[in-house]
Amino acid sequence: MKNFESEIAEILEVETINLSDELESFEAWDSLTVLSIIAFFDSEYKVTLSSEDINNAETIQGLKDIIKENK
Amino acid sequence: MNLKYKNKKITGILTVLPEKEVKFDDEIDNYDFRRSQSMKLKLIMGYDKRRVVEPGITVSDLCIYGLNHLFDNQLLKKEDIDAIVLVTQSPDYIMPGTSYIIQGKLNLKEDLVCLDINSGCSGYPIGLSQAFMLLDQDEINKVVLLNADILSTKVSINDRGSRPLTGDGASITIVEKDNANNTIYGTVNSDGQGAECLIIPAGGFKTPSSSETAVLEKDINGNFRALDHLYMKGDDVFNFVQTKVPLMIEKLLGNAECNKNEVDYFMFHQPNKFILKKLADKMDISYEKMPNNIVEKFGNSGSVSIPVAITFNLSEEFLNQTLNICIAGFGTGLSWSSMLIKFDKLDFCKLIDFK
Repeated sequence: MKNFESEIAEILEVETINLSDELESFEAWDSLTVLSIIAFFDSEYKVTLSSEDINNAETIQGLKDIIKENK
Repeated sequence: MNLKYKNKKITGILTVLPEKEVKFDDEIDNYDFRRSQSMKLKLIMGYDKRRVVEPGITVSDLCIYGLNHLFDNQLLKKEDIDAIVLVTQSPDYIMPGTSYIIQGKLNLKEDLVCLDINSGCSGYPIGLSQAFMLLDQDEINKVVLLNADILSTKVSINDRGSRPLTGDGASITIVEKDNANNTIYGTVNSDGQGAECLIIPAGGFKTPSSSETAVLEKDINGNFRALDHLYMKGDDVFNFVQTKVPLMIEKLLGNAECNKNEVDYFMFHQPNKFILKKLADKMDISYEKMPNNIVEKFGNSGSVSIPVAITFNLSEEFLNQTLNICIAGFGTGLSWSSMLIKFDKLDFCKLIDFK
């Protein structure tokens, strides 16, 4: 299983992330990034996200919580 | 729903693409996004070139051009056609059906079935399914399946979500009776609750086009679009495809008692490179067996994309070999449909330009 933080950092095109970072604060944030996160969650965690789920998550910690909720 | 057809075959496929090519790079400045973002999108989605019609060219023009090509090259005889089935979402008129326009202009016989089907990205297997059913009639021996769309004319120039992937085109597939005692397996599924995921909101009888429906508005993703324009809810469509298509193929192959490895090619609808790669990964199928290069070269032409993928990538194979092919379409409706067909060597399999 890929490391969650490093994979999300790669999708967001940054070296490191903090779990408290707001998703929309990243320069790379756009609909393609959202799609990449949807695809990552689908392949890695078998979790189907909508773009609303991602927007509601607000932060990277919020995204991480979704994995826990679906376990 | 599982479907089965006996003693039918496809004998030829022709694709007609408009000559005019539009490059993604030339349209980047129309989008309200940074250039670097759009270049990343280009790379991942496989956006590059797409074929679009010149203003005034219609679906019937593309189909008639292709049919005349077949008549002129002795690949099809007018009098042999017993039915034409046209799958399109961009008809010449609201009434009459465009299949009648094609019949009239080509002076085809009166003893003919003309049928228009409103179906989009799942429309290739759906059209084939209709053609196979018509062939159960004693007097119908040859059906011409036409798939054609010109939806490039319905995407907003400021919509980065839909415009860079939309292409135009037409295809002609000849479907006939066969006595080889073969079986073609199929599936059809529908989910009308997802109707708004892929929609042109205005221009029908519910919301006729007006000055209000032509007003551009910005959506949450930063795309500008009017109600007259095609709208795609990208994330919902992505999830729909990743959820439904692998299960559909599993069911199709299970019903046909066919192992995945016995399939020579998975010729799937071509929405974009990203979605096809994710689909292949999820289904554990190699990229070689599931071509994904059509959007970058020609654009996504709806139900025409499977014939484009066949005629562009595999015409030598289809002309010279027998092949076990799995076809799948998925999109507006929502609708998803598939077929498993053993192809005999085709009489023709080519792609021509509409000039």
